[in-house]
Amino acid sequence: MNEAQLLRKACQGDGPAVRALYERYSPRVYAVVRRIAADDDLAQDYAQEAWIRAIRALPTFRGEARFSTWLHRIAVNSALQAVRASETRQKREAPMPESLAVDPPARDALLSQKLEWALDRLPERMRKVLILHDVEGYTHDEIGELLGTTAGTSKSQLFKARGKMRVLLKDLDSSENSVSRNEGKEMEAWSI
Amino acid sequence: MEHLTHDTLARLVDEQPNPAEREHIRACRRCAEEFRAFRLQSEALGGLAALRPPPGDWESLEARLVSEGLVRTPETFRRFGVAAAPAWMQAVAAIVVFLGGTGFGLALTKGATPDELSPRSLPLPLSQISSAEEAVRTVELAERAYMQALARYRQLTGLSDGSLVTDPLSLLTALEGLLAASQEAVRLAPADPVFNGFLVNVLAERQEVLRQISTSRDDDWF
Repeated sequence: MNEAQLLRKACQGDGPAVRALYERYSPRVYAVVRRIAADDDLAQDYAQEAWIRAIRALPTFRGEARFSTWLHRIAVNSALQAVRASETRQKREAPMPESLAVDPPARDALLSQKLEWALDRLPERMRKVLILHDVEGYTHDEIGELLGTTAGTSKSQLFKARGKMRVLLKDLDSSENSVSRNEGKEMEAWSI
Repeated sequence: MEHLTHDTLARLVDEQPNPAEREHIRACRRCAEEFRAFRLQSEALGGLAALRPPPGDWESLEARLVSEGLVRTPETFRRFGVAAAPAWMQAVAAIVVFLGGTGFGLALTKGATPDELSPRSLPLPLSQISSAEEAVRTVELAERAYMQALARYRQLTGLSDGSLVTDPLSLLTALEGLLAASQEAVRLAPADPVFNGFLVNVLAERQEVLRQISTSRDDDWF
């Protein structure tokens, strides 16, 4: 069944069609929401909320953009709104994300873990901008629109976020190398 | 020599350096390495893989979609009154309904009349399932509905008193529901051998009933 047929059926409330869309797009939806939320439990809630919104809004989808783009935008908006709504939440010292990347190569898996770890530790505004720009490929104009700010502010936040990431990753690598030296082992730490 | 700041290096990932910055990067090994690291960092972020949602995510989402009326409930569960039940409950219903059917059902319904097994005689409100106890009662209801059809089936095939009835559609309807329930169970657990076995059995039984209906019609009409 092609995507247009799936969407038509999903629009009519057909469970298997909705499931097929979920199977196809849930990793991408979950990934962006997880990175914005920086928390596994919240991410699941936000991602589900995004799906509910998307399925509810499906009759309004006119196919002017690709469905994946439309759904992604809903997921981003949904996560940003949810994060905004939970301003008072405490920043947790989250462990490395338990989420499984979709088939990462072995070497990249370690790098990805480090990046996810560092992303989780960025201040919220920086994290949002960095994820939207460097991970998701949004332009500064689009980010400004999504975050209710200007393209210039988005740029400035991005540069700060990149700098902060660099420091976090450097610190992580030095602490790993230090542990490795102390144990007298050779450790091939991937440093950026 | 004053090194380039992180802000500058981060900017140069996307923008062209001015002549002074370019010259500095060419001359300063430390800043050149840092610049390379910033570029690699952004490239690596752009290559981050998608993430699988945690196990059980679909089941929980599906329950929400059903409860909000965004996903149409399978006909079986509407018929059997478990429309708002979550997926695990539907799967359990599929198993129990099937266990209540086929061989078990034929044995258990021996001597029972359709009226004694009528779902209308049961006290459970069909559309208000909110606890495990209610789910169990609903499953019992579904089981009885199928047994009622089996009782008619016994009459149809002459197993009970030798007299045939001319309404085989009640059994076929129950089997259609059972088929949908089995398909739903297989969809929930595609690799489960028990569910797959149920589905194969239901399909075979349905085929047999259709064959008998066809034969019966031939006898009646020609």
